[in-house]
Amino acid sequence: MLFGDFMMGARSRLLPMSIPLRFFGAAVLFHMAAWGLLLGYADDAPGFMGGLSHLLASLHFVTLGVLAMTGMGAAFQLLPVATKKPVRSEAACKAAFWLMVLGLLALGHGMGHGDYAVLALGGTLVVLALGLFGLLVADNLRRVKDMRVVTDQAWISLGFLALLLILAALLVADYALGGFLPDHQAVALAHGVVAAYGFMGLLAMGFSFILVPMFCLAPPPDVKLGRWAGWLAGIAVLLAMAGLIHGIKPLVLLGGLLGLIACGLHLRAMAKVMKGRMRKQLGDSFRLIRLAWVLMPSSIIVGLLAALGVAPDRTGPLFGFLLVFGWLLTFLLGILQRILPFLASMHSVRPGVKPALVSALTADKPLRLHLVFHVLALALVSAGLVGQVGLLVRLGAACGLIGAVSYALSAAHVVYVLRKHLSNLSQHSEK
Amino acid sequence: MFGNTQIGTLLHEEHVRTIQALQSLEEYLLKQTSKRVPDVTSDKVRELLEHLLSDVAAEVERHFGFEEGFLFPVLASQGEMGIAAFLTEEHGCILPLAQELAATAREALNGAGFTPEGWKDFHHRGVELCEREIFHIQKEEMGLLAAISMFVGPEADAELAVKYRESVAA
Repeated sequence: MLFGDFMMGARSRLLPMSIPLRFFGAAVLFHMAAWGLLLGYADDAPGFMGGLSHLLASLHFVTLGVLAMTGMGAAFQLLPVATKKPVRSEAACKAAFWLMVLGLLALGHGMGHGDYAVLALGGTLVVLALGLFGLLVADNLRRVKDMRVVTDQAWISLGFLALLLILAALLVADYALGGFLPDHQAVALAHGVVAAYGFMGLLAMGFSFILVPMFCLAPPPDVKLGRWAGWLAGIAVLLAMAGLIHGIKPLVLLGGLLGLIACGLHLRAMAKVMKGRMRKQLGDSFRLIRLAWVLMPSSIIVGLLAALGVAPDRTGPLFGFLLVFGWLLTFLLGILQRILPFLASMHSVRPGVKPALVSALTADKPLRLHLVFHVLALALVSAGLVGQVGLLVRLGAACGLIGAVSYALSAAHVVYVLRKHLSNLSQHSEK
Repeated sequence: MFGNTQIGTLLHEEHVRTIQALQSLEEYLLKQTSKRVPDVTSDKVRELLEHLLSDVAAEVERHFGFEEGFLFPVLASQGEMGIAAFLTEEHGCILPLAQELAATAREALNGAGFTPEGWKDFHHRGVELCEREIFHIQKEEMGLLAAISMFVGPEADAELAVKYRESVAA
């Protein structure tokens, strides 16, 4: 009943719409802020190899503000529906949200202005938020006996979340306490790999096994292939992390190669889903998702080139950009533009009344505009990083910002239509 | 998921056919737009409207009737009342829409054609039917068929398959 329970149990186990909506709303705002910061500091992007800066804040606005925030909202909303176990505490979900928002704002300020005290405060709040999130999800997964492909990948992802939080705390403490780490940059890079491939990547891979077949009306995915992909990806991230921290290049390369194989297995499972789908017209969201599937192995290949020392001042920044703004952000935005109207439609159901149509909740024109500008942004920034031309990065970031504003308009449209629908219903019932 | 029961397989095959018909209808409606009134004397339009009558409206009515009359009671006897209630509620929303559209299509085919306002309304409701029915099939494919594989035993499965074939032949 893996996928069946998801659909049939959905209505009874949905959290109040305000809980996932606050996470998705914040993600939409941080999305604009991330491109905005990149636009403002575009000249620093070519050759960027890390260190406290507004670019680092921009990167964290995507990873934590968009990716983790969306992941948290989706996990709190969808996991209990899929696992048939309710979230232990709605208040804890709300607390995680506020800790995350306040922490991220402080972290962004601390990174941008090199303010160690604010950085430490922000880092602490974010660690608390993600720690609370991890505990709530772990509590939910602990009570599940089936759904191995989803729970395997979610458990591995949670393991990496714990590792990520330790590394993040070490990095912040290293800044605040005056540099006790022997190689700060190596730990920072390992932290990035663990965060992006380990935590967010595996969470995205796990959710793909529920959401992709659901949206394109396809038979269940190949569970065996999915589990292999999950475990292999986990080993790959551990190897790459160990190699980066200890400066052992062969381990990093081995991790990259295993990561490529894991990625191939995951994409093979997704290709089978797409081949067996009944819904042929999938719209712009799946254009983004398909693009993300191309960018997923591309990021690993560019990462391997950087690890091999091929023009590292060009491939290094490109690796980070393709990984975060390319694969993960593109995938999440594709999924989120399907989840928002879908959830809103589920929340619009009232006995004896037609639920709001998903098409009415979807703002096609802003989403099409977002697609065009997002793709342009990826192409221009990538070209700017490879060619080390700040102007191209700036142009790309401007496109990204226009796309992000369009995306925010489409999200606002969902809320507006849902409120209008519910308000009409209440007026109708009062009469 | 559905392959271990006859009735699950039969319902899935019908879903595939209905989705194909709905996707053709949806594609045509979106291409035609609500502003261009189609010429009902054209063979292509007649074929599409007849398709709507036979493959969509009639099939939906029979399919829903079979589920509510035979399948849902079997699930209810196993304690799975929630699925039946949820889907029956949706049937109540989709079936009248399909029937209204079929009646309008029949009138148009019998010579009345479409007025600009009539076509606009037909177009709007046609797109709505496609979306609601595809979303409904999505729920049945992912929920109902899984429930069948878990709660319908071999004997009940064989009986349901016979009744389903009888309903198709009738």
